[in-house]
Amino acid sequence: MSSKLIDFVHVSKAYGMQTVLDDLNLYIRENEFLTLLGPSGCGKTTTLRILGGFETPDTGKVIFDGKDITNLPPNKRQLNTVFQKYALFTHMTIAENIAFGLKIKNKSRQYIHDKIKYALKLVNLDGYENRMPDSLSGGQQQRIAIARAIVNEPKVLLLDEPLGALDLKLRQDMQYELIRLKNELGITFIYVTHDQEEALTMSDTIVVMNQGYIQQIGTPEKIYNEPENAFVADFIGESNIISATMVKDRLVKILGVPFPCVDEGFGQNTPVDVVIRPEDIDLLKPGEGSIDGVVTHLIFKGVHYEMEVMANNYEWLVHSTDMFPVGTEVSIHVDPYDIQIMKKPESEDEEAVNIEE
Amino acid sequence: MIKKSIQKIYLALIFILLYAPIVTLMVLSFNESRTRAKWGGFTLKWYQELFKNEQIMSAFYTTLLIAFLAAAAATVIGTAASIAIQGMKQRWRTMYMGLTNIPMMNAEIVMGVSLMLLFIALRMTLGFGTILIAHITFNIPYVILSVSPKLRQTSRHTYEAALDLGASPLKAFFKVVFPDIVPGVLSGFMLAFTMSLDDFVITHFTKGPGIDTLSTKIYTEVRKGIKPEIYALSTILFVSVLVLLILVNYSPDGKEEEGEKKKVRKPSRAKVIFLRRIVPAAICILFVFGGIYYAGENQVMNSEKVVVYNWGEYIDPEVLTMFEEETGIDVVYEEFETNEILYPKISSGAIAYDAICPSDYMIQRMMENDLLAEIDFDNIPNIKYIGSQYMEQSRQFDPENKYSVPYCWGTVGILYNKTMVDEPVDSWGILWDEKYRDNILMQDSVRDAFGVALRYLGYSLNSTDLDELTEARDLLIEQKPLVQAYVIDQVRDKMIGNEAAIGVIYSGEAIYTQKENPDLEYVVPKEGSNIWIDSWVIPKNAENKENAEKFINFLCRPDIALMNFEYITYSTPNTKAREMIEDEAIRNSTIAFPDLEKLPELETFQYLGQKADETYGELWNQVKSS
Amino acid sequence: MKSKRLLAGPYLFWSVSFVVIPLLVIVYYAFTNDEGGFTFSNLAQITTAENLKALGLSILLSLVSTVVCLLLAYPLAMILSQKNVSQTSFIVLIFILPMWMNFLLRTMAWQTLLEKNGVINSILEFLHLPALEIINTPAAIILGMVYNFLPFMVLPIYNVLVKIDPNVLNAARDLGANSVQTFLKVTLPLSIPGVISGITMVFVPALTTFVISDLLGGGKILLIGNVIEQSFKQNSNWHVGSGLSLVLMVFIIASMAMVAKYDKEDGGAAF
Repeated sequence: MSSKLIDFVHVSKAYGMQTVLDDLNLYIRENEFLTLLGPSGCGKTTTLRILGGFETPDTGKVIFDGKDITNLPPNKRQLNTVFQKYALFTHMTIAENIAFGLKIKNKSRQYIHDKIKYALKLVNLDGYENRMPDSLSGGQQQRIAIARAIVNEPKVLLLDEPLGALDLKLRQDMQYELIRLKNELGITFIYVTHDQEEALTMSDTIVVMNQGYIQQIGTPEKIYNEPENAFVADFIGESNIISATMVKDRLVKILGVPFPCVDEGFGQNTPVDVVIRPEDIDLLKPGEGSIDGVVTHLIFKGVHYEMEVMANNYEWLVHSTDMFPVGTEVSIHVDPYDIQIMKKPESEDEEAVNIEE
Repeated sequence: MIKKSIQKIYLALIFILLYAPIVTLMVLSFNESRTRAKWGGFTLKWYQELFKNEQIMSAFYTTLLIAFLAAAAATVIGTAASIAIQGMKQRWRTMYMGLTNIPMMNAEIVMGVSLMLLFIALRMTLGFGTILIAHITFNIPYVILSVSPKLRQTSRHTYEAALDLGASPLKAFFKVVFPDIVPGVLSGFMLAFTMSLDDFVITHFTKGPGIDTLSTKIYTEVRKGIKPEIYALSTILFVSVLVLLILVNYSPDGKEEEGEKKKVRKPSRAKVIFLRRIVPAAICILFVFGGIYYAGENQVMNSEKVVVYNWGEYIDPEVLTMFEEETGIDVVYEEFETNEILYPKISSGAIAYDAICPSDYMIQRMMENDLLAEIDFDNIPNIKYIGSQYMEQSRQFDPENKYSVPYCWGTVGILYNKTMVDEPVDSWGILWDEKYRDNILMQDSVRDAFGVALRYLGYSLNSTDLDELTEARDLLIEQKPLVQAYVIDQVRDKMIGNEAAIGVIYSGEAIYTQKENPDLEYVVPKEGSNIWIDSWVIPKNAENKENAEKFINFLCRPDIALMNFEYITYSTPNTKAREMIEDEAIRNSTIAFPDLEKLPELETFQYLGQKADETYGELWNQVKSS
Repeated sequence: MKSKRLLAGPYLFWSVSFVVIPLLVIVYYAFTNDEGGFTFSNLAQITTAENLKALGLSILLSLVSTVVCLLLAYPLAMILSQKNVSQTSFIVLIFILPMWMNFLLRTMAWQTLLEKNGVINSILEFLHLPALEIINTPAAIILGMVYNFLPFMVLPIYNVLVKIDPNVLNAARDLGANSVQTFLKVTLPLSIPGVISGITMVFVPALTTFVISDLLGGGKILLIGNVIEQSFKQNSNWHVGSGLSLVLMVFIIASMAMVAKYDKEDGGAAF
């Protein structure tokens, strides 16, 4: 991909005693769809607000297109934001809302007119020029907020949990809409959300954050399949996270039972965490797998069954298209490449991360 | 940072603007001197006097009681209405909200006047009841406007859920809906209470005799110089409310529902309850029951009463107490400021007074309009103490001495400050001297003001000649730019405080002002002036005529007349009382007891008939609005 | 739901009895004379030179004080609305608190402050500054009005300002508006409802007051409120008083309607 467009360098921010960002370093490439993902209070929104110019970092700087923009006011930045709950100007019509930025820049009437038309078409709301924001549904207001931002032709569009207030179906539609927009406009999107599914669906790159720290940066596949720590594993999708011991390279002892795996380089007899995704567990007949157990819960989820299996004093979460009624004796099997080994957290901070859901 | 400090400075300035007067009042409550114009040293005596001052305490109690009852009634009616309005269709709701907005948007004065007219049309006696009705009326909208937004926030589903779970509609309301709107109801109540407490205009128009709220009490006193006890009371009130609010607001959270989720370390629950509920409640209870106790102690209701209407500050309050104790007759006491204010109240008959104390010409007018009852002088044996020359003087307006008993008398003259006026003062002309621009105080009453101008022009102060009056009017208009203020009794305070060099004043006030400020001198100008007598009369519609006669007789008792003289310092016609004055200087004072022979020509005001009255009024309006 | 409707009964009764009917009584008095005959002469009283002058002066003084209130209150409300919640509730209380000291006394106290030898002039003298001579002038009355009615301007404006989502302002900044543009194009238009109700709540009482002019005008300045008060309390001419009240009422309604209309037009023409 192309070069760094935005670069956060040693950025820290605290509100009073509470540190929100601690020495954040992050770069964003041009034309990337980057998602900041994390639970509330993790610092993702603050990161976005610093980029938008609504907050100033306590230390560190923000580089945009090679220039330091740390202290530049929001109106001088070449990026636009789509706010949580849209923040439309309720005293203006849709057209006036969209024209706001262009009028500030003293664009010609014709230009503004064309831009409004174009933007409304882009967000599938032709003919809404003279409506007032209050008369629109949430999804429509959302699209107006996007239209209002993109008519200014920003290099970067910041989106702060833009779909949070919409219902599930609408949210899914809007996800596709956003991907389409991104492709049509060919600009950088920086997206903030706490919804891991949204992040996985849309992003080129996901930045998982917690408590002011970046936990992991990577493609959706990488984040999902190879979480670097228990927080990421737990936050992205459902998992079985189990304390284990790395006996030697390619062999891990889980709940006292040795499992072959593909990881190397953790040393011998090292305590580790292992992550096993529920869909990666195969249930076999008793004795045929690694650990025997009993099905304790069974729920039908549509595409699969969700089961809990009690084995070696651990409740294993299992997704399977095969159904095993409660009480069935089964045996658990995991392929070596489906076992993800993670280092035990070292600092107390990271420990805290583990406890946090 | 600069922006921050500018903001801080701005806030501080506004704060000073808002609180400077309040601090001033608080300081005045510790002022030894009775007048606000002078700092006489620090004292706490007004705080002690306050609790002995029956009039102020009862006005205070009335204020609290009305505020409480009005706020409570308005809260009930308003809350019920809000609930009903909430469930209405749009059109009805708009109509009701429009109705609610009328009292909010309407001018207070129009509302006060309209209620007064209604009450009088309905022949309701103006008094506690009418004030209460008026207060409830203007309070309801505040309650509705506080409760409605809260109601809009509550979901109707919770109410339906409660019904679903088997609650009766009433129970569902009180268990589910009501707790949600409680903050709105409470703030509506508090708002109503505050508005009621602070109201003056509407009370002013709807009140009757013998009842005063703090506001109306203060308004009557404003002219006279406010009693320092009122400052003390206000200070106590203000400080208590301040403490209350600080307790409620500073003791950390609990129900500050609108606030965002705040992470405040919560102190122990017991402490919160103590600070937020018990202490404020205790203070409130103290106030209310203190008031009730006080009222109970002082208003031992006797069946016998006498309704007295007198000039402001025109009697020693102790005299009233003594009268009540000696005779067992309750005195319902009210004060007026000018004869002109008094007259319509008597002529309309809306209020039945038993004893009133107008001036000479007003007595004549009332006699001519058949508003007065003959006094039975058998019931007033003490009349013998009144000097015969004063009875003779009274014949000018009461030819047969049948209707009136002289109470006080005096002249009108010029009070001037010797340090501020260079030349000897002997003529009204000084009131037109450009040198004293903005240093002149004129009387704010038609006859007194015109009297001065007419005498200066050499005419009678009872002139009805339109040319003479027009000439006088022009003279007064010419004088207006020189006048600092048109006042009545405030001349006294302002002269004591060196606020002005020259003032037109009644001789009685001169004695008091000289005592407070020895630089002041009183003179009756050579062009002649007014001599006046204020006498007690009994209106025809009096309901307690015999009590009124007892009261008048009591006032003629020499010891009582002396007490009054010492309190109000106006010359007494009671010769026996004069002989009893201990201070020789005052007994022989030429101001208090001038030798009438030696004074320039003095005239008594006469009633000039309605037509002339209207002419005077019209011309005076032209002066005032010029 | 029927029974719920009944709850409005007492209020309806009360309002009709003590709000609507009294106003009708005023109308009745306004159009009749002493003998009960129909007349326009009471209304015509407003056209006498004195009364016109009083009305004109009232309008002038109340307009000036409304504008001063607005200019003082708006920045104040903006500062307050930026504070965090617990602090503002206290500051807002500070505006309500003075109401517990009687309104007449508070106004009276200004006499003590403003008088020739009053507190302010003593301080000015001490600082060798020229004395402030505004007592008993229209300026003192305006001061009294501003002082008494300022909270009624601050609170409604404050209430609309705190309800504006800070992100709406951020959005304007984000779209390229500088802070002045943001204020003019977003904050100000959004706060218009508060400004309007503030104007109403200041203008009406200022227009009709008689107490403030009484206390701070030294009896030299006659406002329309004084004229009405005198016609009821001193001259006992209820018919003329009612006539003038009616005129005043109509005037208030008309000016409010004008303000409301202006508000709507303004709202539509903002593009």
